[in-house]
Amino acid sequence: MMELLAFIASHRAEMATRLGEHVVLVAASTAIAAAIGIPLGIVAARRPSLSRPIVGLANLAQTIPSLALFGFLIPLPFIGGIGTRTALVALTVYAVLPILRGTITGLQGVPPAVVECAVAMGLTPRQVLRQVEWPLALPSIVSGLRVAVVIGVGTATIASAIGAGGLGDYIFRGLAMVDATVILAGALPAAILALAADAALAAAGHLADPRRRSRRHGLVLAAVAVLAIVTAVSGRTFAGRADLVIGSKNFTEQVVLGELMAQAIERETGLTVERRLNLGGTAIAHAALLSGGIDVYVEYTGTALTAIFNAPPSADSEQVFALVRDRYASMGLTLMPRLGFNNTFAILVRGEDARRLALKTVSDLAGAVKSDATWEAGFGYEFLERPDGFKGLSAAYGLPFAAAPRVMDLNLIYRALAAGEIDVTAGDATSGLIDTLGLAVLDDDRHYFPVYDAAPVARASVMLQYPAAAAAIRRLAGRVSAADMRQMNFAVDGEKQDPGRVVRAFLLNGPAAPPPSAPVPIPQ
Amino acid sequence: MAGQTVALVGRSGSGKTTLLRLVNRLLDPDSGDVLVDGQSTRAWDPIALRRRTGYVIQDAGLFPHLTVAGNIATVPRLLGWPEARVAARVDELLTLVGLEPGTYRGRWPDELSGGQRQRAGLARALAADPPLLLMDEPFGALDPITKGELHAEFQRLQRTRLAPHSDALRSERRGGGQRSVILVTHDMAEACALADLIAVLHEGQLIACDTPAQVRASDDPRVRALMGIS
Repeated sequence: MMELLAFIASHRAEMATRLGEHVVLVAASTAIAAAIGIPLGIVAARRPSLSRPIVGLANLAQTIPSLALFGFLIPLPFIGGIGTRTALVALTVYAVLPILRGTITGLQGVPPAVVECAVAMGLTPRQVLRQVEWPLALPSIVSGLRVAVVIGVGTATIASAIGAGGLGDYIFRGLAMVDATVILAGALPAAILALAADAALAAAGHLADPRRRSRRHGLVLAAVAVLAIVTAVSGRTFAGRADLVIGSKNFTEQVVLGELMAQAIERETGLTVERRLNLGGTAIAHAALLSGGIDVYVEYTGTALTAIFNAPPSADSEQVFALVRDRYASMGLTLMPRLGFNNTFAILVRGEDARRLALKTVSDLAGAVKSDATWEAGFGYEFLERPDGFKGLSAAYGLPFAAAPRVMDLNLIYRALAAGEIDVTAGDATSGLIDTLGLAVLDDDRHYFPVYDAAPVARASVMLQYPAAAAAIRRLAGRVSAADMRQMNFAVDGEKQDPGRVVRAFLLNGPAAPPPSAPVPIPQ
Repeated sequence: MAGQTVALVGRSGSGKTTLLRLVNRLLDPDSGDVLVDGQSTRAWDPIALRRRTGYVIQDAGLFPHLTVAGNIATVPRLLGWPEARVAARVDELLTLVGLEPGTYRGRWPDELSGGQRQRAGLARALAADPPLLLMDEPFGALDPITKGELHAEFQRLQRTRLAPHSDALRSERRGGGQRSVILVTHDMAEACALADLIAVLHEGQLIACDTPAQVRASDDPRVRALMGIS
């Protein structure tokens, strides 16, 4: 708890921004959903023949898992892409159903005799709706809105994966850092926000009901409204468009590298930098770069080659770099010089298993698995899907696992391995958790894994527009060794240090460890 | 017929309510015409027709989200009366139907007994002083004692012809101070007590239309069955 308070105290300004983004996301999407759902509900309540298809469609939309919906939306023109707009569309889709339902239920619950009297008294259809049906249906519509808002606050945390910001940033960052404090820094305010929004709408509903109208409800509503406006406005002022937007994928090393580029640019130029760290994967980061949602992020050459350009993997560092640079160039992106380390996959087992069975290489592991059917593997989603992932690996080494590998979140595999839930996994060679959790890296003795040299990839137009920023990024070339990376990852994952502080120390003191004996060649 | 009370009597499903709803154009006839003030309802603007036609149904159909005063004030407000006049009219009507304005003005419909709701519903129907009043089983859900009280109240109202207390209202009344009432009931005794004329419906057909005394004397078995005489 003290750690959480300390974290909140030291991240006040940023938290205000994230909270503001969150409030804006939920408020705007609920408002749009109400503008769609209420009229639709009125139509559906009047025409039962239309009610079934309308509600069915809204139901269907509700069943799409949120990450999948974000995934569908990214390639779409106008409503898609990366960032706030896409998140708004997705959140609106989810908010429509409860509001629609509330409207239909409320209108259908109006006693027919009351409506008949209203009509017979000479109210026009519009007057019947406004003066009789609307006030009687309002409590039900308000409960629909309350459900929509509570769902929205929860779902908006996932919007962080597509760069829309919000409190989800802390949750994803905390997951990446395996740091419960950071997760709580996102989850707790989100929960409080949900409760506050629910209470505010309940108070608003009571205010709209002439029989339960009271000063207390007015005060609650006014307080929450003022709070919402203040956070939204403070969020806005912080969220003004910066000169450059730095992105990263959603694991610690990526966040550190994003922070590294951001601080290098901030230190060496007068440009303002916005951080859109924690994007939910390679495809999303790449789409964000293409659509201009971000201007630069660090990619790994082998990942770009296979996952983005669908080319066969290769172990030749120079050849892969040249090929990927050309492919990027043809789509208006510039691959900058490599940072200096190769983050290939590392096959990991528990240290005690490695010692007990004398496992040194992946070939040793294949032998051990053959003689013992209880070995269980677990991998991240990407590793299982990619051509240079599990399929190729098991073909190259003949790994005869009895059961199909378990699919796990990339951020959880190290802990799952250490806890004995799985026995083998594939992690990042530069993961700080390897040392923290006492895991052993098995040598890739058949040279199956291709190179994954880290290199920033940027929008060419932005690099031309801000040559000083391009120069600052170029100066990072060859400055980060695998040992540096592992040490920084450990500082964040193991020692729970703030990525910004770790990067600041690194830039001030230079490489903490002596440079590796065989430095990676830097083509210029 | 002007100024008279006509009771529509018949068994359930005989078409009483349908006939009533044809009068204020809640329904349009499949064929033929329903004449109101000599003009087919099809030719009337439905909104204008309904605003000069009071409507009372069983259990009153009061708006649950409005107070008694708010319910009664609905049509006057639609007609754009100034608020002072609306308030005066509300109190006048409450007194007229036997509800003390100070006590009942601010009550909510669910705080009223069945009989009080029915009185409030009647006051609401009379708010803009319509020349025609339609009542669909208005006393159907009441206990015998309350029903008796309301019958007496209704007779008193019809005797005095619900004369508006203010001159302004009187001059506005186009029906010359006379109010016609169409009352739907399945209770022949009620019809005899309240109506000037009784129309008996059977399976959608009008089988008798006469004074209570004449109807009571009818030897049509269908009419006699309604009166509980076999």
